[in-house]
Amino acid sequence: MQKRIILEAVGIRKDYGALQVLKGVDFRVREGELVSIIGPSGSGKSSMLRCCNLLERPTAGQIVFDGIDITREGVNINHVRQNIGMVFQQFNLYPHLTVLGNVTLALRCVKKLSRAEASEIGMAALAQVDMAGKRDAYPNQLSGGQKQRVGIARAVALHPQIILFDEPTSALDPELVSSVLGVMRKLREAGMTMLVVTHEMGFAKEVSDRVIFMDGGVVAANDTPERIFAAQDNERMQSFLSRFLNEK
Amino acid sequence: MSEILTTFFNLDIARQVFPFLLEGLLTTFKLSLLIIPLGLAGGLLLALLHTQSHYRAVRILVNCYVDFFRSFPQLVLLIFVSFATPFLGLDLPPILSLAISFTLSTSAYYCEIFRAGIGSIPPAQTEAARSTGMSAAQTLAHVVLPQAVRNVTPDLLGNSLEIVKGTSIASVLGMSELLHNAQSAQSVLFSPTPLMLAALIYLLLLWPAVRLVSNLEAAMRLRSRH
Amino acid sequence: MDATPSLIHTFFNPDILAKTAPIVLASAGQTVLLGFLIIVCGIGLGILLASLRYYTRRRTVTALIVGYVDVLRALPPLVLLIVVYFALPYVNVSIDATLATFLCLSAILSAFIEECVWSGIAALAQGQMEAARSTGMTWSAAMRHVVLPQALKIALPQITNRCIATIKNTALGSVIGFNEVLGSAQAASSDFANPTPLTLSALVYIAMILPFVLFSRYLEHRTGSH
Ligand SMILES: Nc1ncnc2c1ncn2[C@@H]1O[C@H](COP(=O)(O)OP(=O)(O)O)[C@@H](O)[C@H]1O
Ligand SMILES: [Mg+2]
Repeated sequence: MQKRIILEAVGIRKDYGALQVLKGVDFRVREGELVSIIGPSGSGKSSMLRCCNLLERPTAGQIVFDGIDITREGVNINHVRQNIGMVFQQFNLYPHLTVLGNVTLALRCVKKLSRAEASEIGMAALAQVDMAGKRDAYPNQLSGGQKQRVGIARAVALHPQIILFDEPTSALDPELVSSVLGVMRKLREAGMTMLVVTHEMGFAKEVSDRVIFMDGGVVAANDTPERIFAAQDNERMQSFLSRFLNEK
Repeated sequence: MSEILTTFFNLDIARQVFPFLLEGLLTTFKLSLLIIPLGLAGGLLLALLHTQSHYRAVRILVNCYVDFFRSFPQLVLLIFVSFATPFLGLDLPPILSLAISFTLSTSAYYCEIFRAGIGSIPPAQTEAARSTGMSAAQTLAHVVLPQAVRNVTPDLLGNSLEIVKGTSIASVLGMSELLHNAQSAQSVLFSPTPLMLAALIYLLLLWPAVRLVSNLEAAMRLRSRH
Repeated sequence: MDATPSLIHTFFNPDILAKTAPIVLASAGQTVLLGFLIIVCGIGLGILLASLRYYTRRRTVTALIVGYVDVLRALPPLVLLIVVYFALPYVNVSIDATLATFLCLSAILSAFIEECVWSGIAALAQGQMEAARSTGMTWSAAMRHVVLPQALKIALPQITNRCIATIKNTALGSVIGFNEVLGSAQAASSDFANPTPLTLSALVYIAMILPFVLFSRYLEHRTGSH
């Protein structure tokens, strides 16, 4: 039996003025899956991801999360977002709060937990990303890789049903990339559902259940990594992949 | 509504007092043109004393001066200078009291601005200039100050704008600048129109300056972020 | 006669000091209270306006806020004070000098605070708001816990400077008869034909403002050392 569908995009379109960025995107993410989104820059990957938690409102189409169409009027989006974590390319940590403060802020002011409860959950999340030792440090005292692990802990702490990653390693020095990918692998083994925009082809190939190739605002291919990376029939994908695979 | 308009902006009265207000405006200009250069000169001098002196005592003295006059309200200083000096047997004409008190306090503000500007220039600039054989004074005049002034132009303009606004308190001494003339006209004609007209004149003249300062600040912020 | 004792005798006459200090200090209490209220209301309103400007996507609202800010930044405070105090009675709205001072100075402060809090918000990366929203925080919670704390920290030096300017401007209230420190000192000084009350009023103002000036120096020192 197939697993439950956690997140489904149905005919998503997004226009910025006259510019059509997404031209009807459909895909599904099932419970426990890790789905990678790859594709040339400007193809609409970030826009698609940001539509998933309505940081951007799609111009048309539906986002169905856990069986509920969250693009409908009257849905409490703040409530939904507690269950959809997000990790940003530029980390977006709060510079005025400590590491633990970053991780516990939403627990305290969204979930209304007490300081002690929030700390306990926050520390557990930090332990998952090997950052418990830095609980009292401020973001500007951390390396890029450490910052991104805190960014992941901030999402994990809310116990979301899915986490969206937007190029989580693209702003990192090459030697720091592996620590973040390692944490993501661990998360996957623990059963977290993940939708990951990435340029790390090795990671996408090894860890993904499925890979979505986006090009020009549409899904050009959506398949298992084996088939995607062996594909000979899609010329644009070929040229895109060869560029990346040759770099490594 | 129209009654309010004829009270607050009676066109006949406006036409009648307009030349008188323009005279006041001219005085406002003259006062500004007197005070701003004095303040700039004093402020630059203090800033140079502070940044170029090798003596700690000098820097401390400049800091004390600046803090003291930043804490001294302009009007209090003006009243103090003009009403207290007669007790010393000095009878200063109002314009002199005004020049003294404004220079004392605005030079403190200009000093802070120039100091920040000079501080924003990396020491490597000075080293580069000195390595080509320029003297300390030449380096300051040709390399450091031009860049420093450019970096703090919005603040210099903003402070000058505050000074132009501040000249309105000269009316308290009975100097016939714009506000004072408007007030006299108001009490003679029993009409608020001169006051409204004066406010309008200030607004029309200073609004562009306010916008300019805001836009320059925004441009500076953008530049410093990149 | 030796100059020094006579100077002290004139400007800091103990007898006159003893007689007038209670009056001047009583009005100092009032001034401090009014200054405090103005600062609280001005900063509160300024933050509210900046937040509204950040929140709203409507051009008209933004234009109204920017217009309000520009007008209050362009008009000299004394002009605004005099217009409000002397012009309103012509339409049978009479307003007490204390209230006029409070309203005008709060409005002016709110304009300057809006400007600097807004630029603080603009200096933040857009990602801060998005990160907070992505964890399910409401707009206002994200504003309170993430955006404003950082924006206020960026704006703190400017906010301090505006508070200094505001307390100084309370002295302008004396011109329309609000019985603040300078006003009562001037009255006492002419009653006793001696400048001692004026000296006292200057000292009182300096004592009120110097802590803010020193605080701003501390802030500057702190950011300078990073
Ligand atoms: N807020 C926006 N306003 C206007 N255009 C945008 C905005 N965000 C993204 N775009 C445009 O949408 C296109 C797709 O961007 P994006 O989704 O970031 O692509 P990717 O993440 O695949 O590189 C680009 O051409 C980009 O310039
Ligand atoms: Mg992107």
